[in-house]
Amino acid sequence: MNNMKQFQQMFLAQLKLTLREKQAWFWGIFFPVILMVIFMVIFSGESNEDFQAQVAVVNENQNETSDMLLSQISQMELLDIKEGTFNREDAEELVEEQEVDAAIVLPASMEETSLSLIINKENEQGATTQALSGILDKLIQQANLSAAGATQTYQLQFESVTSGTNELDYTDFLLTGMIALAIAQGGLFGMVDLVEMRRKGLIKRLRMTPAKMSIFGLSDMAMRFIFSIIQIVLLSLIGVFIFGANLYINFFSLIVVFLFGALSFNALGYFISSFSKTTEAYMGVANIVSFLMMFLSGVFFPIETMPEWIQPVSHVLPLTYFAQGLRDSMVYSTSLASSTLWIGIGIIFLWGAIAYLIGSWLYKTKSIVATR
Amino acid sequence: MTVLEVKQLKKSFGAIRAVDDISFSVKAGEVFTIIGPNGAGKTTTLEMIEGLVPPDQGEIKFGELNWDKHADQIKMKIGVQPQSSAMFDLLTPEENLNLFSTFYTSARPTEEILELINLTEHRNNHVKKLSGGQRQRLAIGLAMISDPEIIFLDEPTTGLDPQARRNIWDIILQLKALGKTTILTTHYMEEAEKLSDRVCIVDQGKIVTLDTPASLIEQLTQEREVHLSFIDGAEAAEQAELFMTKLESVTRTERNQASLKIWTTKPEDTLYELFKFTKENNYHVEQVSIHEMSLEDVFIAFTGKEWRD
Repeated sequence: MNNMKQFQQMFLAQLKLTLREKQAWFWGIFFPVILMVIFMVIFSGESNEDFQAQVAVVNENQNETSDMLLSQISQMELLDIKEGTFNREDAEELVEEQEVDAAIVLPASMEETSLSLIINKENEQGATTQALSGILDKLIQQANLSAAGATQTYQLQFESVTSGTNELDYTDFLLTGMIALAIAQGGLFGMVDLVEMRRKGLIKRLRMTPAKMSIFGLSDMAMRFIFSIIQIVLLSLIGVFIFGANLYINFFSLIVVFLFGALSFNALGYFISSFSKTTEAYMGVANIVSFLMMFLSGVFFPIETMPEWIQPVSHVLPLTYFAQGLRDSMVYSTSLASSTLWIGIGIIFLWGAIAYLIGSWLYKTKSIVATR
Repeated sequence: MTVLEVKQLKKSFGAIRAVDDISFSVKAGEVFTIIGPNGAGKTTTLEMIEGLVPPDQGEIKFGELNWDKHADQIKMKIGVQPQSSAMFDLLTPEENLNLFSTFYTSARPTEEILELINLTEHRNNHVKKLSGGQRQRLAIGLAMISDPEIIFLDEPTTGLDPQARRNIWDIILQLKALGKTTILTTHYMEEAEKLSDRVCIVDQGKIVTLDTPASLIEQLTQEREVHLSFIDGAEAAEQAELFMTKLESVTRTERNQASLKIWTTKPEDTLYELFKFTKENNYHVEQVSIHEMSLEDVFIAFTGKEWRD
């Protein structure tokens, strides 16, 4: 009864402290949002649109061959053909001034068999050029085949496979990665309060009262959970409504992954606080840990894109599994029955449990709680 | 009635003996002051009594209660203002008091405490915006929130300006009027003399002496210093000095123009003789004062050291 009242008051105090701490809002809310927006704008903005190249077609002397090729080219959706008729000089000028991506010069007579592609030297290595030459190559091959009277024997079929119901867009990948990072950092950096309270003698002061420290810790964790939920909701809303991320959430899995992840990263923060005598020392360690994990845990880019020798490190870090767990539960709607999800949660839990145990042991043996 | 009894308390930090065999007992309703220079062991003694630091040796009893068996009961009975005056800086005084009041089974109304520590005006400012004196008053308020029987104040006035110090003295005197037992440490002699019923002087972890301020001073010496100055100038002072030296109780005199200092073992008799003399000779005395001995003199006499604030 009295415990409940104590919890309420302590939680209320924690809520006010968090609301009034500007730093918490900046690093916990504003910073992850900005970071996510920047990454999404840089890496996912343009590339999602369909490929299309604008070309000018030079057909100076109309003949059967050129008409046949022109009709085939016009049917290709990937090519946007500039209106009007051009001679070779006009076309070259357009390419030079980059008004079109390329110019295609059709055969000048029925007998001529070559087709030329004029591109700007600057763009020689560009993706558009590569694609265009590929397209024309294919066109010519088909023309050659039909000229030889042969039919195509082999065909390439392109299919993509994912384990989920839909494809993983980079937006979805980054969104879930950022949520994982924000929650992880909340835990890693958040426990600096403990160092600060110890330094100011506030922990000692509370120990002089009959206040139950376990209730105090519980109210602190409750506040941290609420803060993390705000992070998840806010980042998801921005991801979905501004950048068009697709989420298929399995709420039960999400809650379990979230609880284990948030607790474990808070435990890591607690561990760091157990041997840091000053705020600066704490922040130094937390920064190193957070930086390492940020880039090695597949938050921004898939782990598979990293050098092979570094990948084993990624497969040890808790953030890897937390980000993966959030992806599974928020994008693939994976149920808890999935063994990958369970193994990931297990590894996260192991990290948290070990960090907490060593942290408590250090608190007891070095008894820095009691030091002034 | 004894509310606190401390017996043969000892505590060492490495090679340093912070507290070396301290024993005393405190009666209900008194203001008990532990005084001594920095590093004398005052805070360590207090922290052992408050249950924060376990003593190496010795016994601490709050009536029938002790820390081993009755920690929670003792915490309910005592209020502590630690030297660091730690509180939640981003909360207001009112919020701090409200939060602390939930720790105890019974508490005084926040309103009443704010009134007592004179912070009603600042109840809604964040603590980090308060002045040093205001913070210190709030720290005392937090110690009083549970209406404790025994209040520990660890150097409540250190680092404060004279006005702020006086405010805190008022609070301590109000506590005394309420019948609370106060255990105070300070390194201001003046404060100990003004506020305490009994003073315990400690130095190098040991009790040098323990008694009421008045009897400590009395023990010191019977000799008093009397200062006089004459309207009629140096000549009158010289005549008076000549007369004074003939008196048996006067041990020493010192004259500077029209002002005269005399040391006497019987100040009442000496003054009677003095005024008889001035009346007869029609001299006029402008100022008379008897210089009182202070605890500072007691400290010097007991430890042989200069007093340093």
